[in-house]
Amino acid sequence: MSYKCSRCKRDVTLDEYGGVRCPYCGHRVLLKERSRDVKEVEVE
Amino acid sequence: MTEEYEVEFVDLGEREATFLVRPITPAFANGIRRAMIADVPTFSIDTVRFIENSSVMFDEQLGLRLGLVPLSTPPGEFEEGEEVTLSLDVEGPETAYSGDLVASDPMVEPADDNIPIIDLKDGQRLELEADAVLDSGREHAKHQGGVAVSYRHLQTVEVVGERGEFAADDPHVLRGVIEEQEADAAADADAQNGDLVPTDAFDNDLTNRYPEKELDVHDIEDAFVFNVETDGSFDVETLVLEAVGSLETRADELKEAVQL
Repeated sequence: MSYKCSRCKRDVTLDEYGGVRCPYCGHRVLLKERSRDVKEVEVE
Repeated sequence: MTEEYEVEFVDLGEREATFLVRPITPAFANGIRRAMIADVPTFSIDTVRFIENSSVMFDEQLGLRLGLVPLSTPPGEFEEGEEVTLSLDVEGPETAYSGDLVASDPMVEPADDNIPIIDLKDGQRLELEADAVLDSGREHAKHQGGVAVSYRHLQTVEVVGERGEFAADDPHVLRGVIEEQEADAAADADAQNGDLVPTDAFDNDLTNRYPEKELDVHDIEDAFVFNVETDGSFDVETLVLEAVGSLETRADELKEAVQL
């Protein structure tokens, strides 16, 4: 869930031994998704 | 020892005003100006919690924009340091405006609701919770209540004679407020001696008001015309009264501190 394939837009979980590659389409470009945490920002 | 001050409004709007104060010294005028800028506390967003931000801007950039949104601040209702929470939830395609901020306390809300925060495209969403805190302009410029505060001497115009027949036909530009001294020489038939006339009334050109006259313009030493504009947190009257009140409080504190 932490990455998204840039070609097929599917959610990808990285496998330690599989290398950086989308298991569905084989594309090697993955995009990191923003975390779902609430982010607190100080305004200065 | 108390001194009487004469205060006369030349122009009074909700957010903008021009008024004359006399007799005061330049030091006191500057004290009032500084108090209006730095010592009257207003609410401003200080902490933002981003629940979702899929817009094109970073959280920190949006935080800075939110911090600059003026929030209405009722005088005397809150202590410095008190917080009010606001929330915002906008989904694209739409522009998120300051008016979309919903406050937990109806007394504290955006002074203007048409300040754009960010343009959201299809599928983008902005959801956040923000804490506004009451603090003074001394701490951060976003807490300034008075945003354009200035003063200058009241000016007086004296007619010293007729303009020479072959004198150059140049405009005599003057900006500020004049106290009419020789109303009978003015082009305006209703003019009275002692009237306060903003120079905008005659297009900032004295030759419009005193045609064909040789003039002498000078400052009145102890009279100051203030030009005050607020950011919308409160009206001008509140700003001036709160500023003068803060000067008084500090003077009293000093008086008590030096007493044995």
